[in-house]
Amino acid sequence: MPTARATAWRTWQMTRRAYPWTYAVGTVLPAALTIALAYLGFHAIGGGEVGDDFAADSGTTAYLAYIVVGATAFQFTVRLILWSAKALITEQRQGTLGALLIAPAARLPYLLGFTGFAVLSSIVEFFTLGLVVAALGITVPVSSVPGALLGALALIAAVFALSVGLGGLMIAAGEAHISQNTVFIVLGLVSGFTFPRDYLPEPARWFAELLPTTSAMDVLHGSFTGGQSLPELLPRLAVCALLTGAYLFIGLTWLPRAEARAAERTY
Amino acid sequence: MNHLRHALRVFAAETLKQHRRLFGQPLVVFSMLVWPVLQLATTYYTLRPVATASRAAENWPLAADPERLLAFLATGTLAYAFFFSLVQSAWHLSFERATGTLELLFLSPAGRLTLMIANGAGALLQNAWLLTCFTVAALTGFGTLSVAAWWMYGIVLLALLVPAVAWGAFLNSLLVFSRDSAFLYTILDEPLWFVSGVRLPHFALPAAVQVVGAVFPLTGSLLAVRGALLEHRTVSDLAPTLLGLGALSALLLAAASLILRVGEARARRTGALSLA
Repeated sequence: MPTARATAWRTWQMTRRAYPWTYAVGTVLPAALTIALAYLGFHAIGGGEVGDDFAADSGTTAYLAYIVVGATAFQFTVRLILWSAKALITEQRQGTLGALLIAPAARLPYLLGFTGFAVLSSIVEFFTLGLVVAALGITVPVSSVPGALLGALALIAAVFALSVGLGGLMIAAGEAHISQNTVFIVLGLVSGFTFPRDYLPEPARWFAELLPTTSAMDVLHGSFTGGQSLPELLPRLAVCALLTGAYLFIGLTWLPRAEARAAERTY
Repeated sequence: MNHLRHALRVFAAETLKQHRRLFGQPLVVFSMLVWPVLQLATTYYTLRPVATASRAAENWPLAADPERLLAFLATGTLAYAFFFSLVQSAWHLSFERATGTLELLFLSPAGRLTLMIANGAGALLQNAWLLTCFTVAALTGFGTLSVAAWWMYGIVLLALLVPAVAWGAFLNSLLVFSRDSAFLYTILDEPLWFVSGVRLPHFALPAAVQVVGAVFPLTGSLLAVRGALLEHRTVSDLAPTLLGLGALSALLLAAASLILRVGEARARRTGALSLA
């Protein structure tokens, strides 16, 4: 735990001193623009209505609230991956990966420190986003508070589990830009953030089931706009927990090999 | 005449440099083909609930047909990719600051504005051909194209190319003289699609956003491209848009030239590569 706390504190100091605005603007702006896009389309094109198939597939007619939940969750996912998965490659680029590998600190708390920082800083950024949502006059219904909290927790765990393996991939390949953006865009398309997954073709739906973020988003949408209660959400939570466990196991097993590969390539 | 020949040689050299650096890179394939196509699908599905609403067809006739909606968004993606490849190129040019080769560029007798234009043009030709092929194939395949004459394709290409290169020269000049280029990159990436009507028709945007959008040449390019490809417009229909685009491009090039002069004069005096 001291490792996690020290990492989170170091990251906070570094961000505050070197890039105070870059990350905050980079998080709030894309989510706010996606919400504004949906808002304008909803009023100017839909005339304040949405098609019947949306209600049938998502279980709600509150399109804007659905988008708010989805766009916020998506930006949160992106932010978390940017911090947690890029932690190791950042060390590699700055030339400190070797020092980290021989330090007597375990990798899991180190990565958790980044995630802890990312979660806390994102919460602050989302208050700003809340102001945008309030200014547009969108209200987001909450059908199950414990469901929403568990859903948020499930999303954090799911994204962390994905990030461990992705971080290993990045240092093994020595490349972050292509892999991170491809992951963002694939997640955004198949995991059901801003539209119901039933719109997608069959193979894409099956592929989405392999990602832990998909079930986490089902829980989040269900507990906000979906009108579901906690017992109804439990099956999807269980799926998410199983997948998260599997990804974490694979990621942590693979990470030492990726580190070895990265070290051999450098020296 | 001699002057022009010199400028052309600088242009060719800088374009060749960009070509060698970018061609065959996996980044180009991803950022110009894989990501835009997946992003297009996400945007289409996100807007579908709105377009299938019962009153959508009377507000926006195009929305009633899913294929035409997709074609509308695809032209937006195409034009956006053109302009975005220039944002990316300007971002890469700012690496010359970090590696120290920018001072060498300024020591050389090459025309500054020519360098900035060539850098953008090189990136553009590298990046955009991929997506153009894809979009033309997709649009012809859907059968949603409605073009007045064959040479309108030439007009479309010019309406994309000329403003994009002017925009690139302007961005390059701006980013050469700024330290936190990643910040400008973020600022220029996301709002660009929003204010220019890449994913929504112009009438859906509030007046204030439309005014801001008029500053960006992508707005005019999109009007021309969509008018020519999807709405069967002729050159005389599009004349005001095309003239506006020409004027805006000239203005951007003049601004780029001014920034370069001011920035270089300041760099000579203070040794700092910044505008303020």
